[in-house]
Amino acid sequence: MTGGKRGLLLAGHGSHLDANSSAPIFAHAARVRARGCYDEVKVAFWKEEPGLSRAFDAFTAEDITVVPVFISSGYFTEEVLPRELGLATVGRTVRYAAPVGAHGALAAVIIQRAREAGAGPADAVAVLGHGTPRNPNSEKNIYAQAERVRTSGAFAEVTTVFLDQEPSMHNVFEMTAATTIVAVPVFVADGWHVGTTIPADLALDGAELRRDGRTLRYARAVGTHELVADVILALAAEAPLWTS
Amino acid sequence: MDELMASHIGAFMLGQLTISLSEDEAVLAGPGPCPIDTEVVATPEAIREWVRIDALGRYRPLSGARTLRPNWHATFATLAALDEAIEAVYPLAQAHIAAWDEGTLRVVGLDEVLARQTGRYRSAASLSQEGRDLASSLLCAGCVRVPVWRRDYPAAGEIPCPEPCSVLVSYCREAVSWEEEHPAPRAIDPLVPFAAFEQPGNALRETYLYLPGVPL
Ligand code: SF4
Repeated sequence: MTGGKRGLLLAGHGSHLDANSSAPIFAHAARVRARGCYDEVKVAFWKEEPGLSRAFDAFTAEDITVVPVFISSGYFTEEVLPRELGLATVGRTVRYAAPVGAHGALAAVIIQRAREAGAGPADAVAVLGHGTPRNPNSEKNIYAQAERVRTSGAFAEVTTVFLDQEPSMHNVFEMTAATTIVAVPVFVADGWHVGTTIPADLALDGAELRRDGRTLRYARAVGTHELVADVILALAAEAPLWTS
Repeated sequence: MDELMASHIGAFMLGQLTISLSEDEAVLAGPGPCPIDTEVVATPEAIREWVRIDALGRYRPLSGARTLRPNWHATFATLAALDEAIEAVYPLAQAHIAAWDEGTLRVVGLDEVLARQTGRYRSAASLSQEGRDLASSLLCAGCVRVPVWRRDYPAAGEIPCPEPCSVLVSYCREAVSWEEEHPAPRAIDPLVPFAAFEQPGNALRETYLYLPGVPL
C-alpha cells in the first residue's frame, strides 16, 4: 500500500421507486467516515445517484477500496458492479471486496437482530433471505450465515427460508418446533420487501403472527444495523487488489 | 468566518438552487419567492432527506428533476459544509462542472450505455434511434443537468451531464415494449411514481406514447 490518499466506496443497489432503500448505505458511509480510517468515503448506486459508472469522478485518492453493500455474491457483484464501475480501465489502484453478505461477521449482526426481536436460547431463528430461482448462487451466503448462527449455539433451532424460492418463508412453522420463532430478514434495507411485501405475505399483525399457540416474530433488516459499518470496514481491510 | 467564503461573496444559481455567500454565512435556498420559508437543518443528511421528495410528497429518483420543493433554505458557516449540502442535492455536479471547465470530463453516449446493459436491461439496446431521441428529449428536458453526451452545451454555471443516467436507461427499456405493442396513451395520473414507466398514468410514459412523430 502506498502512503497516498486512500478512498472507500460503498457500492449499493438503490431504487427508482423506493425513497428509503439507499438510506442505510448513506448511514454506514457516515459511520465509516467518522472512524477516520479513509481519507475519502463515498457512495454510488446502480439505481440512484451518484451512479456506479461515475463513482470515481469525485475521488482524489489513487488507492480506492470498493465494498459492495449487497447480500448475495453473483450477478451484481461479479458482473454489474465491475462493468459499471469500469474497474478494468479505472487507472487507479482498486481493491474490490466481497459483498457484505459474505463476511462471517454478519452472523453476529443476525444474532443481534434476533435478540432485539426477543429471541432467546429456547427459541427458533429463521434466517430469511431473498433468493431467486433464476440464480442458484444467490442463496449461498444466506445458507452460510445461517450455519454460522447455528454454530454459535445462541438459539435452540436455526433454519433458512426465502422470500422468492424454496424453502419458502410460508413454511416456517412446519420447519421448526419451538414455540417462538424469530424471522430475521437478511436484506440491506427496511425497504419495500422488508417493510411491505414480507409482512403482507406472512399476514403479520404488527411485528408478529400467532398460530396454534405458537408465535412468529419479525426482526428488522440486518443491513440497517449500525454494526454493519464494522462488517464493511472488515471487508475493506481484507479486500484484494482488483484483477479482471 | 471562513476566509474562502469571504473571497466568494455574492449570489449565484445552480440548477434550482440559489446560493448566497456573505462574509459570515452561506445560504442555500430552494426555488420559490416566499420571504417566509422553511429552515432546513444544515447537515448533508437533513438536506438529502429534504430533497428526496417533491412538494406533493413523491419520491424524486432523478436528482436533477426540476421538482425541488419550493420555499426553503439552509444556512452554513463554512464553504465545506455548503459543498456537502450541494453534493446531497446534485450529486457530482461540482466535480462535473470542474472537469468540464478543465476539458477533462469523460463523456459516454447513450448507444454505449444501452449496449453494455445485461439482465433485465439488455432489451433496452433494441430501442430505435427515434425512440432514443424521444426518450432522452422528454426526460432530459425536465432535468437541470445539460446532457453533454447528447452534444448539448452547458452555459456558464450549468451542470454538465456526462453520461445517460439509470432513469433514462429504464425509460428506454420500457419504450422498447411501447414500440412493439403501441399501447394507447392514457390520462396522466400524478399519483403514479416518477419512474414507474410501466404503469399507465405515468407522466413520462403517457407523454412518450402521445408524442411519436411530433417533431420536438
Ligand atoms: S441523462 Fe438526462 S435526465 Fe438523466 S441526469 Fe443526464 S440530463 Fe438529467
